[in-house]
Amino acid sequence: MKWLRASWMRLRSLFCKEQFDRELTEELANHVEMHIEDNLRAGMTPEEARRNALLKLGGLEQTKESVRDQRTLPFLESLFQDLRFALRLLRKSPAFTATAVLTLALGIGATAAMFGVVYSLLFDPFPYQGADRLAVINIHDLKQNADSGSDREEFSIPEFLEYQQHNHVFEDLVGSYSAVVRLEDGGGTTTFGAAYVTGNTFDFYGVPPQMGRGIVPEDAAPGAPPVFVMNYKVWTADFAADSKILGKTYLIDGIRRTLVGIMPPRFQVGGGRLWLPLDLSSAAAASTPVDKLVRLWTVGRLKPGLSLAVAAADVQVLAKRLVKDYPKEYPEQFNVNVQNLVEALVGNFKVMLYVLLGAVAILLLIACSNVANLMLAKATTREREIGVRVSLGAGPIRLVRQLLAESLLLATLACLVGCFFAYFGLKGISATVPANTLPDEAVIGFNPVVLLFAVALSFSTTLLCGLAPAVHAVRGSLQERLSGSGKNVNTPSGHGPFRTALVIAEVALSVVLLTGAGLLTRSFVALTSIDLGFNPKDILFAQLSAPPERKDTIEDQKLFFDQALPRVKALPGVVSATAAYSLPPVSGTYSDVTVPGKTHSEPRYTRLELCSAGFFETMQLHLLRGRVLSESDIASSRRVIVVNETLARRFFPSEDPIGQEVKFDWFDKLAGAPHDAYFEIIGVVRDFSNWDVRKSAPLPEAILPYTILARDRRIILARTSLPPDSLLPAVRREIWAVDPKIAIDTGNLQDFLAEDSYSEPRFNLITSGAFAGIALLLVVMGVFSVMAYSVSLRTHEIGVRMALGATQDSILKMVLAKGFRLIAAGLVIGLLVSFAQTRFIANQIWGVSVTDPLTFFSVVVLVALVGFTACILPAHCATKVDPVIALRYE
Amino acid sequence: MGDKKDVWQGTLALMVLKTLETLGPLHGYGIARRIEQTSGDLLSVNYGTLYPALLKLEQEGYISSEWGVSDNNRKANYYKLTRAGRKQLEKETQEWEQTTAILARFLSYEEETS
Repeated sequence: MKWLRASWMRLRSLFCKEQFDRELTEELANHVEMHIEDNLRAGMTPEEARRNALLKLGGLEQTKESVRDQRTLPFLESLFQDLRFALRLLRKSPAFTATAVLTLALGIGATAAMFGVVYSLLFDPFPYQGADRLAVINIHDLKQNADSGSDREEFSIPEFLEYQQHNHVFEDLVGSYSAVVRLEDGGGTTTFGAAYVTGNTFDFYGVPPQMGRGIVPEDAAPGAPPVFVMNYKVWTADFAADSKILGKTYLIDGIRRTLVGIMPPRFQVGGGRLWLPLDLSSAAAASTPVDKLVRLWTVGRLKPGLSLAVAAADVQVLAKRLVKDYPKEYPEQFNVNVQNLVEALVGNFKVMLYVLLGAVAILLLIACSNVANLMLAKATTREREIGVRVSLGAGPIRLVRQLLAESLLLATLACLVGCFFAYFGLKGISATVPANTLPDEAVIGFNPVVLLFAVALSFSTTLLCGLAPAVHAVRGSLQERLSGSGKNVNTPSGHGPFRTALVIAEVALSVVLLTGAGLLTRSFVALTSIDLGFNPKDILFAQLSAPPERKDTIEDQKLFFDQALPRVKALPGVVSATAAYSLPPVSGTYSDVTVPGKTHSEPRYTRLELCSAGFFETMQLHLLRGRVLSESDIASSRRVIVVNETLARRFFPSEDPIGQEVKFDWFDKLAGAPHDAYFEIIGVVRDFSNWDVRKSAPLPEAILPYTILARDRRIILARTSLPPDSLLPAVRREIWAVDPKIAIDTGNLQDFLAEDSYSEPRFNLITSGAFAGIALLLVVMGVFSVMAYSVSLRTHEIGVRMALGATQDSILKMVLAKGFRLIAAGLVIGLLVSFAQTRFIANQIWGVSVTDPLTFFSVVVLVALVGFTACILPAHCATKVDPVIALRYE
Repeated sequence: MGDKKDVWQGTLALMVLKTLETLGPLHGYGIARRIEQTSGDLLSVNYGTLYPALLKLEQEGYISSEWGVSDNNRKANYYKLTRAGRKQLEKETQEWEQTTAILARFLSYEEETS
């Protein structure tokens, strides 16, 4: 305590130095006066009295100095001095300061922003209790590839209960089942993505509600009063954050439920926007829209200290037991994986994140080497100044400290600017990050952790790029420094090779980043320009859902479309309209196919699309043979189909597909579908993308009249001549005019596709492009600063050369040749590394070779040009050297 | 002057505190003189060490200072014992007495055995 108080007072007196000094001077003067008076009284002569008093006091200045040391913190005071001096120096060379600060800030900002993303997504994605122990179970078919997407992570209710009650490794398991529900509040019908959750879910995640309460186990008991809970976004967007709605009742899928709570923004369990309790007991199963086909997405929290492998082994025992009861649910050969939840959700994107983090680390290294370079250059020109300091008695520690004070100041400025960059960088990233690749709970943004990271980064980079130059500066003999001119070519300063190596490394690193960005760009261009086989431009869609309890028949649906389609088509700006089953490019469902007279061993499945006659015109599909579905085919539910080329080729490799008949096995299992029905192929259309845009080979597809089969979800697609978004309200109005009970979700197909298929490559492209741009900027700064410096060091030499008859041309050539050697070396190394690292980005590259010659060539040309440009100015300066002045310098 | 002893660093603080307890508020010069006089002019107070010592005591909160007017109408910085200082003085006096007692016993014991 005593020590603390003293330090505080010392610290405080740093700030009112002048007053203390004045008072001390006065006090000591008084002291002397009093002493003199006493001496006079004792009978001394005035001179003697004065002399005696001063002698006794012993050096006025020494006394003052020792009082001062006691009063403040001498270390801190000299640090302030160093900082003040550094500030003056930095102000004196604003170009150096700006370059160094900007360079460091770019590196720090980019790294902090990327760290922010990685932190939010991989380390703090969930606000849940024991979030790092959350895990999902998946059943992996050993006959399939690991990433074939065939792993099962969802379980039927009996399976769920078995796993929940008999495992030994989880604290608890929760299950959720997502469904689209219709919420009627008296004013209109709206659809929401909802999650039916097991009663223990809210306790399990342990997030306190924003308002009201969460779902409790009693809510999921049979006969409990129906309730629901709402997420924050719905509450604010659709209910204007009105706190009075708590306790109100709403009709949700025909059941009147009371709103009991609103959850905070980051609670996003099961991807639901509304949460409804799920009654697992079989008695109640009939009353909720849950049937035997329901699969629960299951999440468990591992007991502390258990590894995923141990958990998997335990669950595997249960799974083997379940195989006997549910043989169809499990593949012949399988194993059970227990996967960390973050891993499962962020999965593939994680690789990209680490690649990006690696990229920014490289950027930071470039920035550091640039600044180290600049500071080395400065240190060399200051060798004389340092020599003088040393001869006046400055110790090496003191000198290093003073030089580090400069770096500290630079770092502080860079940190400020860098945080500014990181803040906007993170804003940009959270706007472009692919929405569905991330857990909804993750919030990307500038937070205290990122700030802390940025500060730590700034100071470690300071040490990194300030310490080496500082140590370099104080090493070496004093005599050499004072006697040499400081610019003498005969005594090279010794860090020439180091600087050269730094520039070569910079050029090489930028080549690596640029080739990466170049490949991603090429890949993105290839991806966005692929021929989908249909034209997604100017298509609007309206997804429709009728009340499920209404159980619309084929006739009901036909009645609806017969009225709605003409109304939509009649809207000004609509060219054509069609009913369909699913949003392109993914056809909604699939079925195994039987072709009469043919046996087959491998599975023969096809995708199915149900539509009206306008489908082909609206999608702009290209008919190859036969004819498309006609109005009368639709009206009379004729059993005819149009197939794509892949289906024709696969099922009828040698015969003419037109007129052939096929049967869809799925229909045989489906109530309301024609059983044992054969469909005649009447036309073949060119292949179009009907699966994943990035997977080039389309699947077989059959297009049927929608009147064959009643489905409770349908869509309307319309091709427009006006911007589709402008027509959406009119389309909704027309549809509601036919059937007000229908809930509608409208949109623009191209935007939907862009969001669905292009957002991840776009994100990769934007980020890596930004990095590569920054890298190139840093190369310019790096090459320029080093060349300019080396020219200034060689002024004397150049002067001598010119005095001996060298022409301006030959000087220019000499300087440029040096620059070129550096750039060429960097290019070669960079290309080698790029070739070596291509396999790391191979899975992000699509439609272009990872060693695409065009990309590599462009990068080489670009870097060479940029490097050359950065050399020109210093080289030009070199030719302007006046030999007389250069030699007089000596 | 040459045979006078300089005050040991550790004891100077104690002497200052004791002086202030005995005489009440006093300026630096007065404290120095008093210490020298009390020692029967055997000690010489080096002002180069006195003023830092006073400042240290002030920083530690044992004394406080205030500008006032001296007997012969001169502005001077007066040092005063604080409550914490009084306690510290008591504690240090006790410790010091104990130390000297132990040392005295030790020395006399040496004499007896030798």
